[in-house]
Amino acid sequence: MTKLPALGTTLDPVTFEVLRNAFVNIVDQMAEQVRRTCYSFVVYNRDFSNALCDAEGNTVAQGNQDLAAHVGTLHYTCKAVIDEFGDDIHPGDVFLVNDPYAGGTHFNDTRVLLPIFVDGRLIAWSQANGHWADMGGSVPGSFDVSAREMFKEGIRVPPVKIWRRGEYCGDVARLVAKNTRDPDAIIGDMDAQTQATRIAEREILRLCDKYGVETIITAFAEVQDYVERAIRLRLSELPDGSWETVDFVDQDPAGQEGMIPIRVKLTIRGDEAEFDLSGSHPTIGSIYNCAFGGTFAGIVSGMKTFFPDVPLNAGLYRTVKVIVPDDTIVSARWPVAVSGFVMGFEKIMNAIFELFSALMPERAMACAFNIEYLQTGGYDARGDDRSYFMLYDWLSGGWGGRNGRDGLGVTASCFGVGLMIQPVEGQERLCPVRTDRFEIVTDSAGPGEWRGGVGLDKGGTILDVENCVFSYFCDRERSIVWGIEGGLPARPHGLWLEPPGEEARFLGAVFSNVPVHTGARFWRGTSGGGGYGDPLKRDPQRVLEDVVDDYVSVERARKDYGVVLKVIDEDLAEYEIDATATRAERRRIAAQRKCWLEEDPQQVAERFRTGQLDLYDVIRQYGVICDWGTGELLPNSTHAFRQMMKTRSVPHWADESDV
Amino acid sequence: MTNVRVAVDIGGTFTDVCVLDETTNALHIAKVPSSRDPIDAALDGLDKAGIALSDVTLFAHGTTVATNALIERNLPHTAMVVTEGFRDVIEIGRSTKEDLWDAYRDNPPPYIRRRDRLPIAERTDSSGRVEKPIDVAEARTLAAKLRKRKYEAVAICFMNSFANMANEQALKAILEEELPGVAISTSAEVLPEIFEHDRFSTAVVNAVLHPVIGAYTLRLQERLKQGGYTSDVLLLHSGGGVMTPQGVGSQAARLASSGIAAGAIANRYIGNLCGFPNSIGFDMGGTSTDVSLVWDSQMLTTRDWHIEHGHPICFPSIDIKTIGAGGGSIAWIDEAGSLRNGPQSAGSIPGPACYGRGGENPTNTDANLVLGRLGGDLVGGNLDLDLARATAAIEQKIARPLGMDVKTAARAILNVANANTADAIRLVSIMRGYDPRDFALIAFGGAGPLHGVALATELSIPTVIVPPHPGVTSAMGCLLVDIQHDLLTTYLVDTAQADPQAIEAEFRLLEAEAHARLTKEGVAGKDIILKRTVDMRYSGQWRSLAVAVGTPFTSVQEAVDAFGAAHEREYNYRRAGAGIEIFRLNLTAVGLTPKAELARHVAVTTRPEPRAWRRVGFDDNSLETPIYWRDDLSSGTELPGPAVIQQLDSTTLVPPGATVTVDPWLNLAITV
Repeated sequence: MTKLPALGTTLDPVTFEVLRNAFVNIVDQMAEQVRRTCYSFVVYNRDFSNALCDAEGNTVAQGNQDLAAHVGTLHYTCKAVIDEFGDDIHPGDVFLVNDPYAGGTHFNDTRVLLPIFVDGRLIAWSQANGHWADMGGSVPGSFDVSAREMFKEGIRVPPVKIWRRGEYCGDVARLVAKNTRDPDAIIGDMDAQTQATRIAEREILRLCDKYGVETIITAFAEVQDYVERAIRLRLSELPDGSWETVDFVDQDPAGQEGMIPIRVKLTIRGDEAEFDLSGSHPTIGSIYNCAFGGTFAGIVSGMKTFFPDVPLNAGLYRTVKVIVPDDTIVSARWPVAVSGFVMGFEKIMNAIFELFSALMPERAMACAFNIEYLQTGGYDARGDDRSYFMLYDWLSGGWGGRNGRDGLGVTASCFGVGLMIQPVEGQERLCPVRTDRFEIVTDSAGPGEWRGGVGLDKGGTILDVENCVFSYFCDRERSIVWGIEGGLPARPHGLWLEPPGEEARFLGAVFSNVPVHTGARFWRGTSGGGGYGDPLKRDPQRVLEDVVDDYVSVERARKDYGVVLKVIDEDLAEYEIDATATRAERRRIAAQRKCWLEEDPQQVAERFRTGQLDLYDVIRQYGVICDWGTGELLPNSTHAFRQMMKTRSVPHWADESDV
Repeated sequence: MTNVRVAVDIGGTFTDVCVLDETTNALHIAKVPSSRDPIDAALDGLDKAGIALSDVTLFAHGTTVATNALIERNLPHTAMVVTEGFRDVIEIGRSTKEDLWDAYRDNPPPYIRRRDRLPIAERTDSSGRVEKPIDVAEARTLAAKLRKRKYEAVAICFMNSFANMANEQALKAILEEELPGVAISTSAEVLPEIFEHDRFSTAVVNAVLHPVIGAYTLRLQERLKQGGYTSDVLLLHSGGGVMTPQGVGSQAARLASSGIAAGAIANRYIGNLCGFPNSIGFDMGGTSTDVSLVWDSQMLTTRDWHIEHGHPICFPSIDIKTIGAGGGSIAWIDEAGSLRNGPQSAGSIPGPACYGRGGENPTNTDANLVLGRLGGDLVGGNLDLDLARATAAIEQKIARPLGMDVKTAARAILNVANANTADAIRLVSIMRGYDPRDFALIAFGGAGPLHGVALATELSIPTVIVPPHPGVTSAMGCLLVDIQHDLLTTYLVDTAQADPQAIEAEFRLLEAEAHARLTKEGVAGKDIILKRTVDMRYSGQWRSLAVAVGTPFTSVQEAVDAFGAAHEREYNYRRAGAGIEIFRLNLTAVGLTPKAELARHVAVTTRPEPRAWRRVGFDDNSLETPIYWRDDLSSGTELPGPAVIQQLDSTTLVPPGATVTVDPWLNLAITV
């Protein structure tokens, strides 16, 4: 049992506990307000966060259902407003800011902040942050993956006032709104967020009335101390030492072929965690760069995953030290494009999953699928009025296998587990796109003793459109979702497009403004999670159950798990394990699999092109990365990918005699 | 007794029986432990209350049979037939997790496994046009496979069936012919509403519960008939009404939480009786608390409802917030030194430390005992409470680590519990624009009356009402309801273009359906009441608000005005000049049933004598406090605080400064 530290609060325990809960409760009330009154469907589907900050801008409380990628950035934004306005902050003011270069994430995450005054004294800030569906820029949705600088990404809002001493600054609000594709929705969301900050103000004033303003201010500080104490205690129970790993963004579109490393070195020293990202790649020629805010969010979100019961506030941030040299992919500065910050964010988070898995095996977890986001924009030609439509669609996928259980299937990405996917019937009603397939994909999960969760495919047909374009925003087409402790990778992301009367072609996981026409068919999938542990150690009965449910095919049961099944009655989904054949198959794989990773990648790619090997064979058995459309080998990516498998998987594989 | 109405509320721990004598309006109660077979418990309870079934004129029933079947996955072998390409809608859901950060906490699996979800080629587009009809040969092949697999129930769930249910109906006809005796639910019949996950999930719950409820009601009705009860059993549904077993077919999912609504109904009834059209129901039991809200005599309803995360049941349901705070909630100190309360509960086994059943953790019940707010026994002397054990638990786990004496620690435990509960009530009420000063707090459940006044103080609520039998008030709710059906149709139109005549025609269709259902259930035309509402929202907004409209529907503008007012009250603002659209038309159809009425008692002026005196710890001090028995209190009695009022099923705490008045129905009205 953990020894209790000295309490260290000056408030009596009841007042402290009551206020600690009340602060979170207030932020949850803000969330309810935002969700019920927002306009942007992105916000409605929970891409938003709220916070209560103290007078210096430090986060006192965040909401229970808030998005991971905003964690650890709201205090930066609040401090940016304070720095900008100094003495010019008054009762009745409301501020707006979306600046990623001032601690934010990307332009879409626009924050409304309200200073809370008691008797003329500034005591706190309430902040409502929502992802607005469009911020202008060169493509609908404002994610132009070809952007290298922010000027194609939409409107940058440094801290400005949208209310000044109780007077609405409609001019400023309109200046922002009219730079976007849906000004009405922007004003609607701005209203909704402003109302949410006012609810927090009302509630804080109520608490001040009841407990006295000094008590409330003391409690702001003490709830942060409380979280800091809890985290330091947990960290001090971990061994001191350094651990490092690397994860990759697929490519630099402006550079040569090869994956882009993000390096994370964790050092635990007593009750502090240091994260050193030195050695990460310089900024790249796309929007997949991350400014410091997004990087810090990735670090604290990764850590928080291992301490899920500790509340979120700036106390957590004080236990973390971050080292990152300037101008890398995880420390981009103005005017480098960063709207795809989440790609770096998720790599950092997964790298931290791996590092902490070694330290806390009871919560270990392999890599999760990558966030993906398909933006379709154009004119709906179904009716006479030819209205402009925007269809932004994101999917769920599989999370990594865990110690003692399979990974979470079809779950929102680690960018934010509260982000809901959208109903197809709603999309079909609003947009000229029909979905033909939306279901779990057999064999999408990374094999392991505990396999990853399953991923999805979604595909459809473009109906009557004019001037319609696709932009796709994803990653891990090459840096494929990996396993740990001997587990295997899952499958690559990417989108296929089949224009009417033409062959289908693979467009990959990242592109902008590709024209699509009426009658075109398209599909894309999400990866399952990476496997945990040697798949040859998986209980054959579990493999059989997976085959009954079509999570795994009979063929891959043999290839990935060495489990040979006999089909008894397909109508009844009845199968039987062939124990003798399974033993022999597992021995055969165990004896050969290390050699597969040494085979000439050119020849592997050639066998892929001629159909002798399929996609899963190439990745899971040979560790080879190709252009999945043409089958052309990507030698640099393959080299890095094989290195990664040799670190994460091979050392944990059982020998022939052990299976 | 002859001519009695009986309500049986079967809960996890106890089965409550509430009997109303129609001649005298006297209320009798009995509490028996829930048994393996809930029907046995119900009949035991009647036995204990001394009731012969042949004397029962009306038997109303709230049951957890369906809830338990769902949670335990103790469900019939059920198949789901889906549009090809959409096999996993109920597994994919909205893909969120209940606990965002705990990667080791899994969502509950779907009620039908993937192996039992079978595709068929078919498609309807979003406007309702059938693009691909059912192929009869394929359907018959599928039917053969279903037969071979021996399914007991089937859910048919097709894309866009809310816009046109032809394909679902076509397959249903074939399956009914090929699979006699198999219960078939179609998504559009169960819930004709857009958004496939909500509709499919509701239909699947309906499909798996249909055989469960069907078999249960059949057995129950049989046993009751043997005993001499010949009328229909009335089953309480989550919408706050009752239905008859005939209604179960396409509505079984409404019984997924039969019983949860009973407390809310009782809340409304007691509130109205005492002259409070606005009331907050605070029903605190051993492990949890149910909070319900009544505004202007209307219960708040929601469509955002589930038993388990990710598996919505989208029938309109009474909006009840359940929180993990009860008498058995455990107080603990976390590793960073903060005093916490719940959500873990000691339950009934081992129970609070004072039960002497091996529980070592201090609970709210222990704190109440240490402070003398509770006496030395519970449930009318059936359970002795051990003060020494309660003291030891609080001393070791709370007082010593925090450097307090035991009584201060006990106060601290209860203050934290009350603050947490008040926060939860705030989240359901104040944030929706309601001012607590406009409400009465109706405190019931075994533990509600102990905490009611403290909560009211925290929330600035001026009056607390404690009903005559707090421990069985929920069961009484079953005697207070009408037959109710909630019908709806998705109807999307901009109010600027809306045609009132077309809307009126849609409402007429719903009304015809409602009349048909109620008539089938034996309700006479004069007892049918129909209420219309329209769900509206600002164009582009994602959440809608329900607005009541008149019959016939003649003016869109009236609805628009009502929407603006409702939006302003609920969300603090309205948007002048913004477009408004209609989203859905709803009809609530009520078939009136004879209802219970509590007996009125004539006021007497005699002042009751305390049965005992005891030192009771209040917030600021400890006082010698008179202990009254509830049965000694008659109508018209007035008592100043401090006082403790004990009865069989509960204890009411009246702190100094508060006063109690006993009203003609024997409710305690406490002025805070």
